[in-house]
Amino acid sequence: MSTAIAKTAAEEALGFQLPHRRMEDWRWTDLRQLIDKPYPPRQKVRALPGDVERLIGSSIFSGIAATRMVFVNGEYDAAHSKLANSYVESRSELSDPVNLMNVAFATDGARLRIEGNVDTPIELIFIATDASPRTVATRNVIEVADDASATIIETHLGEGSYLANSVTEIWVGNNARLDRVKVELESHDAVHLAHCHVVVGHSVTFRDFTLTTGAKLNRQDGTFRFVGEFADAKVSGAYMLAAKQHADTRLVVDHEVPNCASRELFKCVMDDHARGIFQGKVIVRPGAQKTDGKQSSHALLLSETSEFDAKPELEIYADDVACGHGATSGDLNHDHVFYLKSRGVPEAEAKALLIAAFVGEAFDMIHHDGIKAALEDFAARWLTEHRRKG
Amino acid sequence: MADIDTIALVKDIDVDKYKYGFTTDIESEYAPKGLNEDTVRFISNKKNEPAWMLEARLEAYRRWLQMDEPTWAKVSYPKIDFQDIYYYAAPKSVSAPKSLDEVDPKLLETYAKLGIPLKEQEILAGVRKQGEKSDLDEEGSEYASGKVAVDAVFDSVSVVTTFKAELAKAGVIFCSISEALREHPELVKKYLFSVVPQGDNYYAALNAAVFSDGSFVYVPPGVRCPMELSTYFRMNAKNTGQFERTLIIADKGSYVSYLEGCTAPTREESQLHAAVVELIALDDAEIKYSTVQNWYPGDAEGKGGVYNFVTKRGDCRGPRSKISWTQVETGSAITWKYPSCILRGEESRGEFYSIAISNGRQQVDSGTKMIHLGKNTSSRIISKGIAAGRSDNTYRGLVSAHRKALNARNFTQCDSLLIGDKCGAHTVPYIEAKTSTAQFEHEATTSKISDDQMFYCMSRGLSQEEAVALIVNGFVRDVLQQLPMEFMAETQKLIGISLEGSVG
Repeated sequence: MSTAIAKTAAEEALGFQLPHRRMEDWRWTDLRQLIDKPYPPRQKVRALPGDVERLIGSSIFSGIAATRMVFVNGEYDAAHSKLANSYVESRSELSDPVNLMNVAFATDGARLRIEGNVDTPIELIFIATDASPRTVATRNVIEVADDASATIIETHLGEGSYLANSVTEIWVGNNARLDRVKVELESHDAVHLAHCHVVVGHSVTFRDFTLTTGAKLNRQDGTFRFVGEFADAKVSGAYMLAAKQHADTRLVVDHEVPNCASRELFKCVMDDHARGIFQGKVIVRPGAQKTDGKQSSHALLLSETSEFDAKPELEIYADDVACGHGATSGDLNHDHVFYLKSRGVPEAEAKALLIAAFVGEAFDMIHHDGIKAALEDFAARWLTEHRRKG
Repeated sequence: MADIDTIALVKDIDVDKYKYGFTTDIESEYAPKGLNEDTVRFISNKKNEPAWMLEARLEAYRRWLQMDEPTWAKVSYPKIDFQDIYYYAAPKSVSAPKSLDEVDPKLLETYAKLGIPLKEQEILAGVRKQGEKSDLDEEGSEYASGKVAVDAVFDSVSVVTTFKAELAKAGVIFCSISEALREHPELVKKYLFSVVPQGDNYYAALNAAVFSDGSFVYVPPGVRCPMELSTYFRMNAKNTGQFERTLIIADKGSYVSYLEGCTAPTREESQLHAAVVELIALDDAEIKYSTVQNWYPGDAEGKGGVYNFVTKRGDCRGPRSKISWTQVETGSAITWKYPSCILRGEESRGEFYSIAISNGRQQVDSGTKMIHLGKNTSSRIISKGIAAGRSDNTYRGLVSAHRKALNARNFTQCDSLLIGDKCGAHTVPYIEAKTSTAQFEHEATTSKISDDQMFYCMSRGLSQEEAVALIVNGFVRDVLQQLPMEFMAETQKLIGISLEGSVG
């Protein structure tokens, strides 16, 4: 294979070679082909206060009491933030393309150190306002001290055409608890590239849920490392995709030490021409005995032209483990729809109900009731709303 | 009962040594060492092939020169020096497949030692005497079942094919591929390279250029092949690669069951085996292909052993056709093998049953591809991987449904069993659903033999090794049942041998 290929216009603008399908991790998401216009980085864009407020109001969590921190077009917005940025140094050792791009172009991001029990959720809001196409990159670094606990929400919102690159590093100390919820509601003309890198210590309880429903092109990587024993992590996600949306998630759950448990659950709903991809990998390193790792991905294809691809991978080097994965793909169960219809529920409503129940399983493990209710509400409305718009 | 038999069989096995590691001292004729266009011409000339075949070989060789060795599999080995291999080795006493009476007794002896009877009056051990009536025989059938026709391939040539006359009565053509090229060129030309083209992949291209022999089967329309067909591959000569090519065509409404077995002597140097198998099932036809692969796996330190780089693919070309692959992989230092099914015909069905056992320093990267193209196609994958010692065992598979493959259905189950903490078991499945009417289910688990199971067996008086063999045989049972009778007993024994010395 020759590497001397002509740069695309998008690569020219970024000064950066985009990953392509000949790279195993990108086989289903060829950025060279999918990113079809230039998004120059480091562009200063002034936002109108009205736009910012309208977008903040469109967060599905706007009704929840939360301490907010707002970033507009890649810069901290003091006027709309309740929480000030502190200084926490990045320690990430990642070198994947999304991260390299982020290192080069990130302009700002949340830097937080959590100590003690923080009851009120912290919501980090990332906004891109309508302007000429550009790359907006942010990098968040979050440290959770030993014995601390918190709930952190990441909300991505925007209008117009842009490329959002978001990298989050999370270090969770011993005996700590962290719930992380990410809602990706980018503009439908946007590209969203993200990487979340989490390292959890001894006896940690970690919950992570990502809702992917915005942007025309999504690629989200997750790297979860267990470095202390007896930790428990649940990583889940839901796709609600329509039109020509494309979403690809690649997770690597790395059990480096014994006695940890991990669960991944992905529920993917695709309508119209949407394409959902799930690539999950569980690694059990030599010596990581008594690992309990389970992974499952389920796809619901609502139209004949939608598509789902999955690559659930296991790489295991220890024998005393219980690991497994499951993947399914199919249509809505016609019997279920029939049952509801025979009880007088109109077809559209019956389908919406079944879809909401299907994705609901993925955020069941979030501790905060308000967040769960907001997600349930969004899931219940999604089908009718996107079909009305489309 | 079956369990008791298993234990008895395991007990019978004397040492943890590769049983088939002997060498036959026979004078062989070689092609000059190394690979170039002359080597290709030499082989083609030896086989008296038609001109178009030589052209096809040279084309494949030229394509091969342009290709890179694949590196994506989870295996590692020193780079192969393709110029340090003999591409053709044939016992001098064999010029063309002959009748049994003319075969060199030394060769007959070799096969007898391997437990493969080449005499027509004999039947593979453990089944039933020939001529004995079976409930399975159709009323008034003139062929009593239980017979197995064997094509014996020794290094680069086919030594003999048994039961040819009896098969010919039914219209079945079963011979070596070199013979088919001479006797039935029109059939070979029509189907060869139609499933695995010359430039399909690196090793398939190499095989297309230098393949020396292999089996050819053609079952005419509506014929149920009266007996099991089988090929037995034996590598003997030193520094020789074996490149065989098998082509099986089941014409409309026919059925054939085919078995393949392989062994090689114990040698310090690694040997290359790059085979290609093409299966074609036309309308309503069914092919059942079973392999028991027991090439020399190398010694405990990973020295020697066969590199098994094989391309196997079946094409369900006609509606309602069916292809089923069953494989038992216990040998080879390195296995790189993905028997696949292209489900082109409507309502066609593909099946893949696999047991892959690795011990010592063996590396296995095997699996299947089920490509759903036609409407209402279905496939089923059951894979059981067992890793022991310091081995690595990977399942790699693809299930895909194209947009027009309405109502495609797949069920996949791959289970891995780890014995010891120095080995690795990996699962790398790819699932691609391009239509909402496709229903795919995939399930995988990895575990070890639980202490409770061991304790239970041992409290009943089984030794540790017996208990392991018993539990493992239970673990692979789903697949074992898919094997033809003749291979089942043999395979259970093989599982015992392969895992010997893996516990304690």
